Amino acid sequence: MSASDLSPPGLPPLPGALESELAQLAPVRTRRPVRQLAMVVAVSLLYGAGLVVMLTIRRDLDELPVGWLIGAGLLWLLGFAVPLYLATVPRSGSMMPRWRLAGLTAAIAAIAAISLGMMLHPLGPNSVVLGWQSVTRGYGCLLHGLETAIVPVIAGTLALRRALPVGARWIAAALGASGGSLGGLVLHLHCPVADGLHVGLIHGGSIVAAAVLAAALVPRATEVR
Amino acid sequence: MTEAKELMQRYCDGDAGAFRELYALLAPRLLGYLVRMARERALAEDLLQQTFLKVHRARAAYVRGADPVPWIYAIAHRTFLDEARRGRRATVRVGEVETLPEVPAGLTGESDDRRDEVRGDPELMAAALDALAALPVAQREAVVLTKLDGKSVAEAAEIAGTTVGAMKVRAHRGYVALRKLLGKSEPGKHAGEEP
Repeated sequence: MSASDLSPPGLPPLPGALESELAQLAPVRTRRPVRQLAMVVAVSLLYGAGLVVMLTIRRDLDELPVGWLIGAGLLWLLGFAVPLYLATVPRSGSMMPRWRLAGLTAAIAAIAAISLGMMLHPLGPNSVVLGWQSVTRGYGCLLHGLETAIVPVIAGTLALRRALPVGARWIAAALGASGGSLGGLVLHLHCPVADGLHVGLIHGGSIVAAAVLAAALVPRATEVR
Repeated sequence: MTEAKELMQRYCDGDAGAFRELYALLAPRLLGYLVRMARERALAEDLLQQTFLKVHRARAAYVRGADPVPWIYAIAHRTFLDEARRGRRATVRVGEVETLPEVPAGLTGESDDRRDEVRGDPELMAAALDALAALPVAQREAVVLTKLDGKSVAEAAEIAGTTVGAMKVRAHRGYVALRKLLGKSEPGKHAGEEP
């Protein structure tokens, strides 16, 4: 073969299935990432608020430092919003997912939630201190965290269905981490256990658990197939 | 790429003609990429058809105003990798393919729109394409995207779903391996002499 023989030959015909679909091609509603993000955020926050009401507000809420309550709440909210934004909204003018950044922020959210939870956990007279049992008996909180994560993950998955040719697992992990952070926020407002191990490993751990579960289950729905 | 953008928008609005124009615009380059990756013309054609079928099924994921080309390239890349994982990769080498679907963009990496410019030595190019087949998939892909398809390292990394740093390393290693292979196959010539 010489390079002079490399002339452009004819292209293969389109597959029959595609030809027949083209014959009756209908307009489609294209993806609007910012609108979808707003929808996912609104639905998730409403669901999270509903869960807090259902599970009841923590009994030691008025005994805890307001600065810590608001600061930690904002950090949980940040952990929810940033990975979700990076997972669902591509750069302007691009369709490619920002999977590296999304995955990185998911990891940062998890590490920050676990370490800050272990370090900063103020105590009120009505707070509960269980010691090691707060970890071994923490499955209830972990479950609530995962329950909360379900809605953002499903809503994010629907927004991204069949849109990702690369990085689908990282994007799924970011969706999971985002949902897990919302779960952490719900637990922040519900759970009166004030042990550092519990707040760090269980509340913060809900980010890790949700991210791992989402990374295992979601990519099939979001990959271009 | 404004033309691809406009065609994709018209296609999403239900214009089948726009899809055919998009196919005519992108398929030659994608087929060239897939032939170099799959090393068999028939398999590459099959992968190209699968790619456009996937594009069609996923067209609702298009974001208006966005460039669809890297997205479509990434779909082709993933389609090839899925095929390779299924173990149905072709064993035919590029050198045995009678014709390639497009003129490669030149080993120095000039892009399609510079195709009219002077290209390298035809024999060297054929030898390089032959040597390309001997590279590992990741390195071959990096060389094909950055050196033959004229993509920037960032674009190639985006398509392959890897980091810019990893793509740089792959492209460098692939290029070094390619030069070594060319040096062995043609003792009198060195790829480094390529302008």
